[in-house]
Amino acid sequence: MKIARARGVGYPASALVVAATIAFLKLFPALTETSAALLLILSVFFCASVWQSGPGVFAAILATLGFNFFFLPPLYTFTIADPRNVTALVVFLASGLLIGRLSALARGRLEQLEAERRDLVGLTRLSQGFLADTNRETLLGVAADRLRQELSCEQLTILLADEKGALTQRAATPGATYRTDMAELAYRQGNSASFASELGGTDIYLPIAVGLQRAGALVARGLKASERMAEACAALLGLAVERERFLSVARQAEETRTSEQMKSTLLAQLAHDLKTPVTTARGAIENWETAAGRTESSRLAAESLQVLERRVTQLMELVRLDAGAARPRRERVSAGEIVEAAVARFGEALAAHSLFVESSPASVFVEADPFQLTEALGHGLENAARYSPPGSTIRVSAAVDGNEISFRVVDQGRGVPAAQRERVFERFVRLEDAEKIPGSGLGLAIARSLVELNGGRLRLGIAEDGGTLFEMTLPIAAS
Amino acid sequence: MSRVLVVDDEPGIRTVVRDALEREGHEVATAIDGQDALEILAERAFDLVVTDLAMPRVDGLELVRELRKDSGAPVLVLTVRGEEREKVRLLDAGADDYVTKPFGVAELVARARALLRRSENSRAPAVTRWGDVEVDAEARHVRKAGRPVHLTPIEFALLSTLLTKPGTVWTHRQLMTAVWGTTAGVTTDTLRVHMGGLRRKLEDDPQRPRWFRTEPWVGFRFTPE
Repeated sequence: MKIARARGVGYPASALVVAATIAFLKLFPALTETSAALLLILSVFFCASVWQSGPGVFAAILATLGFNFFFLPPLYTFTIADPRNVTALVVFLASGLLIGRLSALARGRLEQLEAERRDLVGLTRLSQGFLADTNRETLLGVAADRLRQELSCEQLTILLADEKGALTQRAATPGATYRTDMAELAYRQGNSASFASELGGTDIYLPIAVGLQRAGALVARGLKASERMAEACAALLGLAVERERFLSVARQAEETRTSEQMKSTLLAQLAHDLKTPVTTARGAIENWETAAGRTESSRLAAESLQVLERRVTQLMELVRLDAGAARPRRERVSAGEIVEAAVARFGEALAAHSLFVESSPASVFVEADPFQLTEALGHGLENAARYSPPGSTIRVSAAVDGNEISFRVVDQGRGVPAAQRERVFERFVRLEDAEKIPGSGLGLAIARSLVELNGGRLRLGIAEDGGTLFEMTLPIAAS
Repeated sequence: MSRVLVVDDEPGIRTVVRDALEREGHEVATAIDGQDALEILAERAFDLVVTDLAMPRVDGLELVRELRKDSGAPVLVLTVRGEEREKVRLLDAGADDYVTKPFGVAELVARARALLRRSENSRAPAVTRWGDVEVDAEARHVRKAGRPVHLTPIEFALLSTLLTKPGTVWTHRQLMTAVWGTTAGVTTDTLRVHMGGLRRKLEDDPQRPRWFRTEPWVGFRFTPE
């Protein structure tokens, strides 16, 4: 029933319907007043249900007047002879008004339900569309058009905050304009605003919420749909943006993981390729020594190969750290195991020193990559062996301090001057008077990176008797 | 004379290992990878297999698993530093020992010798002597420098276990199973404490053990020479 629902048509149309009913009734002079009244009430009902309240009331009054004029004696006057008919007329008017009101109400409720149903269908369609898009660019591009359709507005703009928090236009229907201040207000304060639009309908500025935060603003101009629909659309858009954000984070994590895996495989291959010739050369020299006897040259060759091997190892470690391929594989490991492993692995370097391992506190655990920590502590042991005189004592200990554990290597060397204690952690930086001592200047830099990767700190200090204190501190794992 | 199969995809390493083992008086055959090795092993039996870990086609771990299905021949694996997790997996899969590249030939030969000796007589002798230590496993007597040493029951069990495979590595898990009969409730820290006891009582310098050595992150090794 789409009979001229537009405003203003209702009144003349109602007058016409009532007049037509009266003319029709006049064709049958035998009709009683009661029958005429019933048919007139029917016409009021019709008018009210089609054109709603205003025309309904108008039709009721018109019908009452018509009933009096055309059907109540004396005919063709507005006077009433029989006082009983006055009552009838009042009852007629009251019924007309009541029926008109009721039917208008039912009609209005129906239309509201219909509008809500349309909104729901629209929202469902939108959410399906949003779910199908996993890429932000296509999502937003299509979103603007979809939203404009569902909201039946003239222009639509989607603004999202960038990394720095600045609001930027991310998608819009062609030629869309908006007021920056209102959009900023919606995004910054979460205030929505709506007002009559010069495009007809309303302009509405809504915040786009993602979880508890706001991600941007939605602007719809010349909106015909309800504001509630617009709010629902903004919420839906927020969900879509959030979902897209999660997806892209997941995608990035996956990509990083794959590329890290690839890098570490490639680097393992490279390390293998570099070390194989060293192993072969070392074996060949040893075989040769066994067959032909050891000479000064063979000893030199063997020693140089060992230095080369160590340098290759360090360089590879550095490359792995720089390439981000040294991600720690953390596990629960006891402090004692780390000390023991480091001493066992780097013990050879300490052969000329008297080593003292202080028994570490029982069952203190850290959450870290055991090999990386062993390597780091090993650098401390190597340095101690290198920079303190043969025969002197090197002490290794692990001590609990609050909720941290400190692994310490203390030697009886000359120590590192306070001014240089940070500088020696830089790559290729060595103590100024250390030229005679072999070393690459990489060990400490690597050690610090390894410790920091595992959530710890590494520093150099001075021991009580002036030697160097190498101290790596890590948080203790909860038991 | 023993028959040894050397498996490595690097020709240089194959040559070096073959030369060293031949000088020891062994008969050496070589294979270029795990697949090749399995084919050779199907035709002849060997007393020892020395294999690389990373190889094309069948790698070291697969080779050990295949080999263990029908052979008890000891396996010595050539690994690279940083492959500690891999080492433990290999040993638990049935490999007997490893050397870490770049290894010294002397070390390799010593390991091979220990494994070959073990395959000849798998029972530890009643009385074992090394350094100034003497252990009578049957009488449960232990002496150091002529003086009796008292070991706790766990320490003695640990020592007698180590004595059965001198020179070769034991993983933590293998030692726990041998000493306690289970790995449940036993941590590597527990093991370390008892090993510490053995060292204090039998080593000359417990801080720098010569005989009861730690293999970082893998286990322990008893080296009585």
